[in-house]
Amino acid sequence: MPVGLSLSGVSRHFDGRGGRVAALSGVSLEVAPGAFTALIGPSGCGKSTLLRLAVGLDLPDAGRVSVGGLSPAEAARKGLTGIAFQDAALLPWRSVEDNIALPFDVLRRPHDAARIAELIALVGLTGFEKALPGELSGGMRQRVAIARALVNDPEMLFLDEPFGALDQILRRQMNVELQRIWMESRTTTLLVTHGIDEAIFLADRVVVMAARPGRIARVIDIPFPRPRRAELFGTPEFAALEAEIAGALDGH
Amino acid sequence: MAIRAILALALWELVGRLALVAGGALPAPSAIAIRFWADRGDYPMHVWATMQGAGIGFLIGNLVAVLAGVLFAVSPVAARLARGVNIAIFALPAIAIAPILTLMTTGMTPRVILAALGCYFVTMTATVTGITQADARMRDVIRAYGGGRLASLRLVELRSAVPQILGALRIAAPAAVLGSILAEFGGGGRFGLGAYLIGSLGRADPARLWGIGLAATVLAGVGYAVFAMIAARVTASTVAVTVAATPPAGDAPRPLWQRAALAAGSVLLPFAVWWGLIAASGAPAMIAKTPMALVDYLMLPNKAGERILDALAQTLPITAVGIALGLGFAFALALGSVLRPGIVRAFMPVALVTQTMPLVALTPLLVLIFGRGPSVILWITVSVTFFPAFVTMAQGLQMVARSALDVPRAYGASPWTVLRLVSIPASAPYVFAALRLAVPRALLGVMTAEWLATGTGLGNLLNQSRGYLDYGMIWTVAVLSVLLSVFFYQVVVWIERRVLARLGMTTAA
Ligand SMILES: Nc1ncnc2c1ncn2[C@@H]1O[C@H](COP(=O)(O)OP(=O)(O)O)[C@@H](O)[C@H]1O
Ligand SMILES: [Mg+2]
Repeated sequence: MPVGLSLSGVSRHFDGRGGRVAALSGVSLEVAPGAFTALIGPSGCGKSTLLRLAVGLDLPDAGRVSVGGLSPAEAARKGLTGIAFQDAALLPWRSVEDNIALPFDVLRRPHDAARIAELIALVGLTGFEKALPGELSGGMRQRVAIARALVNDPEMLFLDEPFGALDQILRRQMNVELQRIWMESRTTTLLVTHGIDEAIFLADRVVVMAARPGRIARVIDIPFPRPRRAELFGTPEFAALEAEIAGALDGH
Repeated sequence: MAIRAILALALWELVGRLALVAGGALPAPSAIAIRFWADRGDYPMHVWATMQGAGIGFLIGNLVAVLAGVLFAVSPVAARLARGVNIAIFALPAIAIAPILTLMTTGMTPRVILAALGCYFVTMTATVTGITQADARMRDVIRAYGGGRLASLRLVELRSAVPQILGALRIAAPAAVLGSILAEFGGGGRFGLGAYLIGSLGRADPARLWGIGLAATVLAGVGYAVFAMIAARVTASTVAVTVAATPPAGDAPRPLWQRAALAAGSVLLPFAVWWGLIAASGAPAMIAKTPMALVDYLMLPNKAGERILDALAQTLPITAVGIALGLGFAFALALGSVLRPGIVRAFMPVALVTQTMPLVALTPLLVLIFGRGPSVILWITVSVTFFPAFVTMAQGLQMVARSALDVPRAYGASPWTVLRLVSIPASAPYVFAALRLAVPRALLGVMTAEWLATGTGLGNLLNQSRGYLDYGMIWTVAVLSVLLSVFFYQVVVWIERRVLARLGMTTAA
């Protein structure tokens, strides 16, 4: 069963050399079970920080974060969450398939070889099962990270700019694939992206963030029925939403 | 490469034949080979004995080192408490405690202990750094799936420490051989290359001394080569391709009283260990001095304090000069190897030979060549500080992530600019690491040369006291040289902390 994500009044500061940075300030967000939410905002507005709080890698200075009613750390220990980091963060000494299997090792579950093979095929890396990360391109490493995020069939999936390193064509393909995966599994998904088109194409809801302090500026619902097809990108309704989100990003 | 080696050998042969160096102090390779052939019956048992002492010590020392390293990486409190003991072990000039070990234990034990001590620190620190400097992004992946510290250790940190540990084992192998040979000089046992060398010293036969020195070097060199090969294989394919942006998290701040208690504990622990070992050994109080007994000894009206101060005034200045020369040379060469990777390949074998030539074997040969003046001390000190410093810096510079070097290159930067923008700043932690390594080694080199060659300073005081069975002085010099080493080491650490904090870097092993 997919689970929801809830943030209420979450703040997180960092004290750096340039003084205090309010990475997140009073952020509240409810993501319903099974929903697909996109998080978009300028670089440095706290998107990655929000994700780190949601998977229990970091604790908020104020406010509460919960995943399916549990603390993020508990949810992670139960194997409810999956995450692909902005930086692929692969272990350089593990082959592609062993990197994808890593969550099984952490969660102490047996390796599901069939599932791993299926995911390798899904992200288009068949033939590279035994390759080491150092032998792959940036885009290929990113796809390994996505496969790794999916391998434990998470109930809540976090993706931090997962397609940032991919070319436009592959990116569109991966968008369509991601939608298919999501419609099959109905995993609650929070996608951080800087592609407006990608956010509209994939999400039920686009959350627009602003920086300094990191906060939610607007939440925009995306009404298009599913499954959405690639042709959607060219429609006037799509263009109108793009313009609206671009405006929100500019502070309107 | 092969041609150059043959040329060098031919030149050496010529120099040896014509007795060009100090009236035959450097014999021709053919003369050494002929002598070696004549002595061939003696070598196997001596080599085997040294291998045993070094090998057992290597196994024990490194095993303890890795276990201790894991403990210290996981528990900052344990690391802080053991700091004093660790630094004392590291700083302890083996030559200073060889006489004590021979007094207190028998058989192979002194060799095993000195060999193990020679390995311990370098492998322990490599384990700690390997673990604590593991890529924060990879640890995050483990934690994001709810993995705790153990899972992180098992899946990420231990594995990412492997190249560092292998790098340390490379250095530990020659150190173990050296430790065993130093103990052999201290007495005990008829067999071993060190015992053989001591036995041959009086015969004024340079060819045999060189033969034994070369045999010891080969023994150490094989150990080094084995781990160098393994390390090269393991490291090449698995260096992270991108740079980690987030530095590893620091230790949580502790209240003042806790820090004070830990600091006090860490200073007292080495003395407690010293006391405990003596109590456990059951040796007579006349030979085995406790800390209190040493204080009593220094109170005696025997001018001990004066003699010690005189010795220090001779030993310390030359140690500082030796360190500066050794490190400066190593730094220049390590940076040069970034511009021309060929330098590492061409120079490493040479550096290896100088380093693995066990010091004490080298000293009589250098005395033949350079006489008994201060220059012989400098030669030895530079050669013992240079090699580890070069390895540390060259290795550190090789670990600079490929992408960090590629960025300036992509903008058309010249190799010099890359050096200035990336390699030199990136080398700062390794320069300090090298300096930390150099301090005690330099003291060991100086004391050994003083003992065997110049008849000055602390080394000479130790040797004289051995002759007079002045146990109080033997212990005092040993303890004092450890304390001195520790003091200078701490000074380096203090400066290092400040400089690296300003550069936003963390210390390297
Ligand atoms: N560990 C950290 N230490 C100090 N500052 C941080 C840390 N993590 C993030 N920040 C700061 O918080 C802000 C938000 O960062 P981040 O969440 O990575 O932004 P985004 O992912 O939206 O680009 C930035 O200004 C960044 O510099
Ligand atoms: Mg980010």
